[in-house]
Amino acid sequence: MPAADRPVKAASTGDLAPRRARGNNRGPVTEPAAAPPLLQLHAVSRSLAGRAVLCELALELRRGEVLGLLGVNGAGKSTTLRVIAGVLAPDSGSVRLDGTDLYDAPERARRGIGYLPERAPLHAELSVSEYLGFCARLRGLDRAAARTAVAREIARCDLGEVQRRLVGQLSKGFQQRVGLAQALLHAPALVVLDEPASGLDPVQAVRMRELVRGLREQQGVILSTHQLAEAQAACDRVAILHGGRLCHIGAPDADLEARFLRIAAGAAEAA
Amino acid sequence: MSAAWLIARHDLRRMAVSVWPWALAAATLALLAYYFLLSLDGFLQLAPKLAGHADAPGVTDLVAVPVLRTLANLFLLLIPLLGMRAIAGERRAHSLVLLLGAGIGDAPIVLGKWLALWLYALALIALALAMPLSLAAGTTLDVGKLAAAGLGLALQAGALAALAVYASSLSDQPAFAAAIAVALNLLLTVIDAGARLQGVGNGLINYLALPTHLEPFFRGIVASVDALYFALLALLALGLATRRLGALRSLG
Repeated sequence: MPAADRPVKAASTGDLAPRRARGNNRGPVTEPAAAPPLLQLHAVSRSLAGRAVLCELALELRRGEVLGLLGVNGAGKSTTLRVIAGVLAPDSGSVRLDGTDLYDAPERARRGIGYLPERAPLHAELSVSEYLGFCARLRGLDRAAARTAVAREIARCDLGEVQRRLVGQLSKGFQQRVGLAQALLHAPALVVLDEPASGLDPVQAVRMRELVRGLREQQGVILSTHQLAEAQAACDRVAILHGGRLCHIGAPDADLEARFLRIAAGAAEAA
Repeated sequence: MSAAWLIARHDLRRMAVSVWPWALAAATLALLAYYFLLSLDGFLQLAPKLAGHADAPGVTDLVAVPVLRTLANLFLLLIPLLGMRAIAGERRAHSLVLLLGAGIGDAPIVLGKWLALWLYALALIALALAMPLSLAAGTTLDVGKLAAAGLGLALQAGALAALAVYASSLSDQPAFAAAIAVALNLLLTVIDAGARLQGVGNGLINYLALPTHLEPFFRGIVASVDALYFALLALLALGLATRRLGALRSLG
């Protein structure tokens, strides 16, 4: 494995410096240099069923940035996102959101996170607007604010034509969009998306990518994906995970595919 | 609005648009109505013979209380069947993460689930009480005894609902969760059967049994020790369910 692709302990600050206008106005929104990272993972480890799934993982994300997690199956992408979303506690290490430890003040911190898991957490027996209304109230919005937020996300996620239909009767694409809408209702500072384009047709995938890009105007986004093209198109930086370790982090340049394949092949040889 | 009440209202709404809770309620009420009519018919045949006795049981003892006692027995099965999906169903549908990630803590989630289940049971109790109360137009009911029986049923339903929520937190298979809850209910019902056969009626094992604390309510006796038993049982089960939810967050 080339030196550049060996597991890295932490993201270098060079990688984290706000990058501006890398073409197509895709650079992250600039923020004052002194501002703490929106999200900071420090030496996070987690085992599941006796197997180390995350090993001393360190990551940082700034507001206005889209960070993609790439990796083969079992690399630890979903576990990383579950830890960040506050639904799975790490064995060791810390997760900080806006400087607050997620597991010291879990309830307050989770209000700042919108999470779309790999399988959207839907209530199939309710209509789209009913379900989103409940999600908004659950995140602490009052009745009027919830109504406004539901209308806003229905418009943003193109759900107007299905808002009165039962969630369980929608296509996979619409269900995924409902899942995304529930994650955005409370305007969280950090949006965590696990395989947001999974199961979508090419047109829906492009629309989802546009939605994700639109989020970075005000929020930080961390997403996982199998697809290199999606990572290159939607992300400002890409972190490649393998065996629960961070193997590479940087801009999604032209060398990304070769680097990803090298890491996967190197790990396979080691195994 | 508190998160627990929000979740309870949401779960009641989901029950209202699902077939399963309606089917269970319909079957239960049909069975109770049939039993009520049989009891009433039996009472009407017996009434002339009872008329001459000074302390003869009345319509409350011979019609109303047996109907409510039947509902108490049905609850041993009905509440687990309804409560099995409270947490296990959410886990199976991968929607528990919505609640776990909402920043509301584990206790309000458990409380909300319990409250929805209990309110459903209370609605059934109210409908069951309406059957004997309909006789008030033509006869005199012992309203105090009926109120005591209703209170006992409500307390029992609260404790059973808490046990069902706890059982539901133990598995991601709703059917398995229901089996655990039914087993717990039956255990609590017959736990002192052996002791009673031996003539022991006042030991610790008797205190642990559900019927020990429910029967006084059906006789019109409201004792704080009995109410406390149901409250403690519910608190214990809800506390265990909350711990279990926290463990789910840790275990993954």
